Parts: sequence; structure tokens; C-alpha cells
Amino acid sequence: MMDTNIVSTMTNKTILSYNGPFYIELISVFGTNIRNFNDAYSNARKKLFKIFIELSQNVSNYSENFHMVNNVQRIGVGELSLKEFDNAYSFTTKNQVKKTDAEILTERCELVNASDQMKLRELKREQRLNSPGEKFGARIGLIQAVMLSKNKLEFKVDKINEDFSYFSLTVKIDKF
Amino acid sequence: MENITLTSSPTTPYFPEVSFDVDKGFCEISGESYMEETYKFYLPLINWIKDYAKHIKKPLDLNIKLIYLNTSSTKCVLDILEILKDFEDEGGKVKVNWYFDKSDPDMVEEVEDFEAESGMKIELIEFE
Repeated sequence: MMDTNIVSTMTNKTILSYNGPFYIELISVFGTNIRNFNDAYSNARKKLFKIFIELSQNVSNYSENFHMVNNVQRIGVGELSLKEFDNAYSFTTKNQVKKTDAEILTERCELVNASDQMKLRELKREQRLNSPGEKFGARIGLIQAVMLSKNKLEFKVDKINEDFSYFSLTVKIDKF
Repeated sequence: MENITLTSSPTTPYFPEVSFDVDKGFCEISGESYMEETYKFYLPLINWIKDYAKHIKKPLDLNIKLIYLNTSSTKCVLDILEILKDFEDEGGKVKVNWYFDKSDPDMVEEVEDFEAESGMKIELIEFE
């Protein structure tokens, strides 16, 4: 089941909302739309595009609610919402996680939020060098989002049951 | 060793264009890089450079013209730079050029991090 809504009007200030599987083809189309929907705030939109791709791919790779494609490829299911305000864009993702992973993610977000830009750069270098690579990637998506936006992560954990929670993450990208 | 040539397509903009030429000692990666299963895409490129350093041992130029790469791709690019650094330390001649858009200062910072993490000297060149 998919629910897509691409709107560029300023009346409700919602630029994009989506609920469904995060296929790379969709992420790419949405990303291109975000980059090109107007000519204003080009620097902010460049940052927004990078953060959009990174956080969307986190949902695609790690959501505990997922679709299997051809019995081999796992595509995460979740939600995203992109809103425009007078001075900023706000991008939110929400997906299902294991309760234990929600605790790890919360700790990571708290660590990132407690770090200044210099510390974040150190953390980024350290994590990327020490990541085992391959399917684990670089493990620096959250750090990168804060380094680019220069704003703290807003995150929320909502319990679904004893085993799973919803993890919501919002990043604000200033226009100026 | 065989050359690697991968062309880009407007329908899959998340794959970069790749040209690795053994006779010219020249590698280029351009476009954007944010595909799924990043390591599967980069593994043949990583192995090509390892083979070149082990068997061909001639000078090698790497041009990177990526306007965007996701963090998973940065890990793979770092792997490539580390292999090139090892090759250089063993006497190989390597030149790495990174082309960037001057309206994207974040990319300059990224390249500085690659230099610090890999120890490989990277020449920053503005896109014309």
C-alpha cells in the first residue's frame, strides 16, 4: 500500500509526504524533485537533498517493516514528510525498529546532539575508518545530517509492543 | 587486466559513470553515487585497482568528478584511496584529482577528510 502526495504549494507548506516501501527508484525521483522544485535557496536545497537521500536510505536499509523483492532484496517500509517554513525546511522519517535498536539509536542521537562541529568531524572520521564496510556502509549518516544542517536532531520513540517501536527523526535545514 | 567502462543512464542517476583504462593508467568516476548495495557496485573497482597496483605497477591517475556521494559510497571511495596510498608507499606513482563545484563548500570539507583518513594527497580542482 502506497500513499504519495507531492505538492509544491505554500498553503499547507507540505512539499512531500510518503508512506510505503523506500525503493531507490522512488528516493531518486523524490530527491530530484526536491533539488529542482524551484530556484530559491539553492545552498539549502543542496544540503536538503543530501540529508534526504541519507535518511531515506536509512529507512530503506534498516526498517524492521520491509518488503522482499525477488526473495533476495530487502526494502524497508516507512514514512517521510518534507515541510517548508519561512526560514527553514523540515524533513522527517519514521520507521519501525527493534526495541533494542531504538535504545542504540537514541544513544547515538544524544551523542551527536552533544557534539560541536569539530567533535562531529572527529567522530565522522573515526566511525568511517572503523566501520567494517560492506553491507554496514560508513555508519555516519546521522553525523553527516547534523554536520550539513548545523541543527540538532529531533527524535522520538513510540512503543508498538514489547519487541518493536517506531523511531521518528526530524532534521531542520535553515534556508539562510 | 580488462578495462571497466560503465555509462550512466537518466533512469538510474544513482549509479556513477566509470572509466578505468589499464593502458592509459587512468581511472575516472563521475556523476552521482547513492545506489543500494554500494559495496557490490564498488567491489570490482576496488579489485581492479588492487590488481593494477600488484601486477601493472605503472603510474595511475584517478579523477573523481562526483557531485554527490552518499555516506556508504564515501566508505568505498576511502577504501580505494587507502589502496592507492599503499601502492604509493611501495613506490607506485599515483595522482588523485577531485573535481568540485565551488558552490558546494561541503564537498571541499569532505575531500579534506578523505585526505586525513587515507593519507593520500588529493588535488582539488574546480569544475569549469
